[in-house]
Amino acid sequence: MTHIMVVDDDQDLAEMLGIVLTGAGFEVDLVNSGDQAITLFQASKPDLVLLDVMLPGLSGIEVAKEIRAISMVPIVMLTAKGDTHDVVLGLEAGADDYMVKPFNPSELVARIKVRLRRAPSTGTPTLRIGEVEIDQVAHTIVSRGKSIPLTRLEFDLLVALAKEPGRVFTREALLDEVWGYQNATDTRLVNVHIQRLRAKIEDDVDNPTIILTVRGVGYKAGASGE
Amino acid sequence: MLRARWQRSILFRVIFSTVTFTIVFIALLGTVLFNQISNGIYREKINASVTEAESLAGYDQGQLYATQYLAHLKLATVVAQILRPSTPSVDTAPREVVLLGSLRGKEGDQTYNGASGNLDVRSVPTSFRKLVQKSTNTHWVRANVFYKNGLTQPAIIVGSEIVMPPGTPYELYYIFLLNEQQTIMGFISKLLWVTGIFSILVIGLLSWYVTRQAVIPLRDAAEIAEELTAGDLNRRMDVQGQDEMARLAISFNEMAVSMQQQISRLENLSRLQQRFVSDVSHELRTPLTTIRMASGVISESASQLDPAGQRSAELLASQIARFESLLTDLLEVSRFDASASILESKETDIGSLIHQTLDHLQPGDATQIRLHLPSEKVVAEVDPRRIERVLRNLIANAVDHCDGKPIDITLVSTQKEVAVGVRDYGIGFSEREASRLFDRFWRADPSRSRIRGGTGLGLSISLDDAKLHQGSLKAWGAPGLGAHFVLTVPRFPGIPIESEPISADPNEGKPTSFLSFDEDDI
Repeated sequence: MTHIMVVDDDQDLAEMLGIVLTGAGFEVDLVNSGDQAITLFQASKPDLVLLDVMLPGLSGIEVAKEIRAISMVPIVMLTAKGDTHDVVLGLEAGADDYMVKPFNPSELVARIKVRLRRAPSTGTPTLRIGEVEIDQVAHTIVSRGKSIPLTRLEFDLLVALAKEPGRVFTREALLDEVWGYQNATDTRLVNVHIQRLRAKIEDDVDNPTIILTVRGVGYKAGASGE
Repeated sequence: MLRARWQRSILFRVIFSTVTFTIVFIALLGTVLFNQISNGIYREKINASVTEAESLAGYDQGQLYATQYLAHLKLATVVAQILRPSTPSVDTAPREVVLLGSLRGKEGDQTYNGASGNLDVRSVPTSFRKLVQKSTNTHWVRANVFYKNGLTQPAIIVGSEIVMPPGTPYELYYIFLLNEQQTIMGFISKLLWVTGIFSILVIGLLSWYVTRQAVIPLRDAAEIAEELTAGDLNRRMDVQGQDEMARLAISFNEMAVSMQQQISRLENLSRLQQRFVSDVSHELRTPLTTIRMASGVISESASQLDPAGQRSAELLASQIARFESLLTDLLEVSRFDASASILESKETDIGSLIHQTLDHLQPGDATQIRLHLPSEKVVAEVDPRRIERVLRNLIANAVDHCDGKPIDITLVSTQKEVAVGVRDYGIGFSEREASRLFDRFWRADPSRSRIRGGTGLGLSISLDDAKLHQGSLKAWGAPGLGAHFVLTVPRFPGIPIESEPISADPNEGKPTSFLSFDEDDI
């Protein structure tokens, strides 16, 4: 059974989230503080973390950072302020996605499912951009003989770009393809994750060769090494 | 230009009037002085000249008579002696003599006519000669005399009659040159001119300096007041000394300080207020999330409830939705108030945005919506989320108030602007209502406006959205005739709109601009 850890200091909201997610067929762990979250995370190894940004003690952003340091598990943040710096900080700390309160429960469940889904490996099992080799079956990437750990979202983002090497993806198209958003305009999600991905796979982040920026349009995969 | 300076500058006014008065005064004073001095100098000379001429004439007459008794004394010799130029000496001024045969004589004898030295005999004016001929007294006149070599000199001419033996009347004129006096007067006149001009300059400068002392602090105060008005609340006047100007500066600065305190107090208050609204809105979101999820769970199991419970679940869900949109609008408003709104512009097809909005709203079949869009695509660089929100508000309002009559939606674009007009022919609104239309939470008709919900913030947010684009949102309405709302935004961000291609008032300019569009473009 899929296992979700909910970290929220508001006990009622946490309980309600528990009810809704259990109803949707997930197994739920409830945690009320950031400090407990790390301990419990190591003990129970959840498949996804639902994390409130505003937490007493260890803040949601710090929790995200610590979890990301030891695991590639998907993290979805919950925030009351969708337009603040907190969102960008959370994404930079390693969160894959965020939901602004008050969110629609069915949308939350849908979003969680997108984050948990395994991308169906169509076509060739291995893809290449430049030096980077992507194994779609084993869900790993290798660059110059070195294995690089990626979160599932980062992997999906890279695969989306690698699958159609010539195509320029607008940020909206990537939001649709990777995050499952329709008609979304929050391009911060894309920008932050492209930066994180580049930091992991590019030799020089300021002169990227694998994920190229097309000014005014979006992103595309760099030249294939073959 | 002079008039404008006169009105605008005290300095100019003071200097101008001071200098004018000084010029008039000095001119008067100079004239009086000059006349007094010149009269004094000339009168003395005239008296001396007349006395001298009388004594000379007496001597000459005696000599002339003597020729009758003394055989060795020839008349011609005496005349020559009379006409001999004076020997220049220290105490006698140079003088000339003219002897002319009087026209009163029967024969008009002119034998002995002559003048001393180089003098032209015609130097004696005819009018003066007539005066001398009329009486036996001595007369004098001031006139210019001239020499045969062309030289002209100022002089006093003293004339009297003399008898040439045996009895012929002659006129004898002694001419005293006024060179010396004229040199003195010329010098005095120069002196007066120099003194006058110098005094005017000094007084002008003095008035300029004194006025500046008073005007400069005033001018500074005005400049600083202007800067304060422009928003630079930290500007203060320099305080120097303890005079009236220093007092002005001190009170001015006190005023500025108190103003600044007042403003910052109000700013703090309003910032607190905004923070409060923003915080409340955010704080409400967590419980609202819980309530919303709970309501979702209840709705899912509504089939197990009795009819009253089922209806309650529906009401709960719809009111939560309303509460949520109210909260969203409130947050949007607080963001506008805190100037924290950011325009996320991108190229947008306005026509398809209108279609998209209509798809969203689904106004139902009861309302007929007529679109008047140009045949070519209208693309503008705007924030699509905001423009869509404005359109949604305007169209929803029109649908609410159209009274079953059709609604016209017009799109017009120019080089620089894009305008969308939403016109209904329903209940409209009065002028009094129009002034409050964009106020927050204001509702035109409390009895009917909650039918569709709506937060009461829609038009206020729409207006803010339009302003954020540097565009405009105008409304026209008349009771029973309907309403017309026109949104105008620039096609490119940062370039404020210059005109409004659609006039909100349908009676103004081109009547019903969309009709002409129908014929030309559709």
